[in-house]
Amino acid sequence: MILLLELFWSFVKIGFTSFGGLSMIPLISAEMISHGWMTAHEVSDIVAIAEMTPGPLGLNCATFAGMRAAGLAGAFVANMGALSPTYTLCAVAAVFFDHFRDNKRLGEIMTGVRPACVGMVAGVIVDLVLVNYVEAGNIHVPSVILGVVDLVLLLKFHMSIPKVLMLSAVAGIILFGVMGL
Amino acid sequence: MSMLAKLYMEFLKFGAFTFGGGWSIVAQMRELYVKREKIITDEELLDITSIGRSLPGTMIGNIAMFFGHRMAGFLGGLACMFGMITVPMIILIVITSFYTAFQNNIWVASAMKGIRTAVAPVILSALMGMIKSAFKLPPCYVIAAAMFGLYFFLRMSPVWLVVIGAVLGLLICEYYERKGEDSK
Repeated sequence: MILLLELFWSFVKIGFTSFGGLSMIPLISAEMISHGWMTAHEVSDIVAIAEMTPGPLGLNCATFAGMRAAGLAGAFVANMGALSPTYTLCAVAAVFFDHFRDNKRLGEIMTGVRPACVGMVAGVIVDLVLVNYVEAGNIHVPSVILGVVDLVLLLKFHMSIPKVLMLSAVAGIILFGVMGL
Repeated sequence: MSMLAKLYMEFLKFGAFTFGGGWSIVAQMRELYVKREKIITDEELLDITSIGRSLPGTMIGNIAMFFGHRMAGFLGGLACMFGMITVPMIILIVITSFYTAFQNNIWVASAMKGIRTAVAPVILSALMGMIKSAFKLPPCYVIAAAMFGLYFFLRMSPVWLVVIGAVLGLLICEYYERKGEDSK
């Protein structure tokens, strides 16, 4: 019971002091190692696994560490800790935002926030491109071709996102697994 | 109840395909709610995204909560949040149990490598759709370019980018309002 509370509290701290993405890693690493729930090596492994599986890094770490420390209950409790800003702070923000949606000032603020968000997402895309199409410092041509095909399927043929992702998984098995590209 | 169940099931599906740091959830929401069901606009989706990204915690959890709240109040938010985490949590529980077998499996690795090639195109396709609604006034293009630079080159936190965007938004709108009054 105390262990579950400790897990919850650790991930509450991680949740409230991180703002998504890779910014969570140093915090997660410090909490996990100081409690002995994960080793430094496991932390780096989980980062790789989190990148490979669906779901955000913070929650995947929560599940992994929670499972290791206290089984299924641990996984659940750790997730609830990591999500605590969502059902407290964000819920309040949602109430506020939906209430003041038609407010003129809020409209002005969002006029600047929206393009800021677009710029940020563009940065995220460039980051992803630099990681996913480059291998050992070189442009990985088969990955680029597959990426271009994906883009055409999405924009030109309006294929649904899950279909594109599943198709890419199959293409990955064939290109990288069977053909060894 | 059926609304909550609908939200839960939709986010369960989104959650299963949130590769690449969760940004693809925005692309999936756009596909379903903006393009197909037309429940929200591109503008609203951008608002939800930028707020969700700038609050502490997990971005897609926040986005799920925000959207769910708009559709069906706090319980709607919870339904979306729990739906979103269900599949990733199950997958991670399985992986943790077969950690070593998974780690070195070449087929899993190749499939994931294939999926990773699709993540940037998925997000890009969503972004291209949302661009139009983001640029209300000409200076908005400058904001987008500047925030891209601050994010990509200076690695500034998204929280600051949103705060700077908010301040610039107020200033720009104020400027255009005054200009409008002058020309009257």
